[in-house]
Amino acid sequence: MPDTVATPAWLLRPEPGLCPCGCVGKRRRGSFVAKTIAGAGGVLQAALFSEDVAREPGLLQRLDARAKVVLLVALLIGVGLVHHVAVLVAAYLATLALARASALPLGFFVRRVWLFIPIFTGIIVLPATLDVITPGEVVIPLPFGLGVTRQGLVAAATITIRVAASISLVLLVTLTTPWARLLAAVRALGVPRLFVLVLGMAYRYLFVLLSAVGDMYVARRARTIAPERDARSGRAFVGATAGALFGKAHVLADEVHQAMTSRGYRGDARTLDRFRIGAADLVAVAAAATCILLLIGGDRAL
Amino acid sequence: MPCEPLLRCRDLRYAYLERFRALDGVSFDVETGETLALLGANGCGKSTLLKVLDGLIFPTAGTYRAFGHDVTEDHLEDEQFATAFRSRVGFIFQNTDAQVFSPSVREEVAFGPLQLGIGRDEVEQRIADVLAMLEIADLADRAPYQLSGGQKKRVAIASVLVTNPDLILFDEPTAALDPRTQQWLLELIVELGRAGKTIVLATHDLDVLDWVCTRCLVFSEDHRIVREGRPDEVLDDRDTLLAANLIHPHAHRHGRLVHAHPLAADHSVIDHGRPLTAAASNALERDRTLGTISV
Repeated sequence: MPDTVATPAWLLRPEPGLCPCGCVGKRRRGSFVAKTIAGAGGVLQAALFSEDVAREPGLLQRLDARAKVVLLVALLIGVGLVHHVAVLVAAYLATLALARASALPLGFFVRRVWLFIPIFTGIIVLPATLDVITPGEVVIPLPFGLGVTRQGLVAAATITIRVAASISLVLLVTLTTPWARLLAAVRALGVPRLFVLVLGMAYRYLFVLLSAVGDMYVARRARTIAPERDARSGRAFVGATAGALFGKAHVLADEVHQAMTSRGYRGDARTLDRFRIGAADLVAVAAAATCILLLIGGDRAL
Repeated sequence: MPCEPLLRCRDLRYAYLERFRALDGVSFDVETGETLALLGANGCGKSTLLKVLDGLIFPTAGTYRAFGHDVTEDHLEDEQFATAFRSRVGFIFQNTDAQVFSPSVREEVAFGPLQLGIGRDEVEQRIADVLAMLEIADLADRAPYQLSGGQKKRVAIASVLVTNPDLILFDEPTAALDPRTQQWLLELIVELGRAGKTIVLATHDLDVLDWVCTRCLVFSEDHRIVREGRPDEVLDDRDTLLAANLIHPHAHRHGRLVHAHPLAADHSVIDHGRPLTAAASNALERDRTLGTISV
């Protein structure tokens, strides 16, 4: 190894920076890679935010995670059995009231529910509004002899509101329960321990790998001077990143296994489950049972 | 009959993929209660050796005995031996992300003692004690991705200390930590040593050897042990440190601190390549005359 570093001459010369005339270049929109990475960053922030919300002193936060998971399943079945839009709207409004009582920001809660409904549910239910799928009284005539029927609109609204109420119920539980407690609750309710362990570790290392992707992209961007004109370089980056991530994940998986073995893991993980069913949990279960009865009873009465 | 050392390694050899050599005939003993530093440049085999000592990988040749028993893959298949060995040896990895794998800090710390069959009530008590000792009780219900690097290191240490091991292995314990956390961690290692724990740590931080360690092993870049001795003896052996790529040829020492001037073979140009002022040159000359600087 040489005693001194032989610095090449070009490294000692300053590079031209901004144009001396002070002109500025064109601005270009970010590539699909930038948007994807920003989205990944958003996932991290949302997870951090939801962990903080889960520790707020709200109504649902006080309940035992197991009770919440049981209630969630029961209420989902209840909502699935309801056929009238008015009852479903009432159920959805009840989820909003619960969100409010649990210190969840309503705007965030509503956006999170309704962001994906038009994309996924809308595509499925829109054709069902047409008279060729759901015959009935045409209320909106369309070209080519088609029309939107009242029965079709009711069916679409029923499905949409049912999906919104169901997603809201899931969000209520996931946003008011720390991830670790939720996993422990699922485990306590009989889901195989190994499955829950793998699920927990997958979620844990999702953040490590997302962070690695972000770092790789920032490192690339810091050295990118020319604007990305086409998607080809973006695709090349995605390919290279996927390869590098695969390697990193492989090394990490090896190390994680060694860390587990080092602390006595021999293939049968034992976990710390600490649950106490309190009076509040029993009251919540009773209230939920009443709600389900009211939902189904009201639906039958209409 | 003389008492057997806590660890005994004889002619250990290991190669990754049977091609990339990591250990080449390594022999040494570790006595109960000592704090041993493994010194060497990057890639010299320190981390590999720690994994061998923890029974995570097994040497391709040579023997390794711990607590009076051979540690082999076959022996670690035995549940009783594995439990006894794992409960007596703790390993703190350099990469805390690999070590902190559970959904919450509490579950992370509980993982080791639960696998080793300790009762749940005692595990709860130990978790509370160790979190309080490491000043992270307020993080108990946090998820790992919500922790800083220093906090994750504390959690990793807590997850090992909670099993109360006799031997603790540290891989580059102060790497990528801020100075305050480094200082805290080094003080903890000294305290653990005083409490009677046997400690083996891989490092290339020469500045803290005197304070933290009782003995050092220096690894060459060809994966052998080239020097063994007390920290002061090893630090005074400039030729060995140079050959092991642990110091730069321009390094010198102020007292016990090893210090390098990257551009200067000559002290007349050490201020970022600019000539020194007359006052600074005079001060350096005075130090050199008094023997406080050696080049």
